[in-house]
Amino acid sequence: MSYKITEEGNVATVHLDGEIDMDVTEKAKEVIMPLIEAGKEVHLNLKEVQYMDSSGISVLIESHQKAAELGNKVILKEISKSVLKVIMMAKLEQILIIE
Amino acid sequence: MTLDEHKEFPVESSSLKEIRNFAREVFAKDPIFKSSIDDVILAIAEAAQNIVKHAYTGQPSGDTMRVEIKFDDKQLVVELFDKGKPAIPQNIKPRRLDDIRAGGLGTFFIGQIMDEVIFKTAATDWVNHLILKKNY
Repeated sequence: MSYKITEEGNVATVHLDGEIDMDVTEKAKEVIMPLIEAGKEVHLNLKEVQYMDSSGISVLIESHQKAAELGNKVILKEISKSVLKVIMMAKLEQILIIE
Repeated sequence: MTLDEHKEFPVESSSLKEIRNFAREVFAKDPIFKSSIDDVILAIAEAAQNIVKHAYTGQPSGDTMRVEIKFDDKQLVVELFDKGKPAIPQNIKPRRLDDIRAGGLGTFFIGQIMDEVIFKTAATDWVNHLILKKNY
């Protein structure tokens, strides 16, 4: 997994790339959580994520819940087909914020 | 087409990608898997992840796990073997989907994708033996 962060005002966009499984979830959290804790609205661009398993889904849930706790939000953007399929299998499309 | 392939991998999270690649290479041999390949690979990877996470509680051990993929033209049988902590099948259940929290989804995904999931105590040198079946 690789990533790129761009910031504009209070919005931080994290472009994730590659495969997100148990092996990289800690790294993903290290990238995303500080942005949420800094009060940013975080946009996760998942266009280039080719694979995500339940560990990756857990990162999305934790990020969503942490942001909500702090009165902010994490928005999932340009979700790849394969990731969307897993989100829908977990019936999370109504819970996570997807644009 | 029939398939009968196996490979062993170190029990560690960095093996998960290798396991997916191994499964992808095997399934690429028969076009019957084309529409389900991503789902079945997810199920296998979730099962392997459970070995790393639960049978070994994420601790490095030097052990390997074995993945076997068999197909007889009608049924896919994937078997995973490990020497970790013995699994207690009645304790392995997916979380309720309305209980929104991190974790507990892997077993749910496996159940959604595969037609049959069987936990066994391995009869050979292994400890746990998981059998995943899918009909074609």
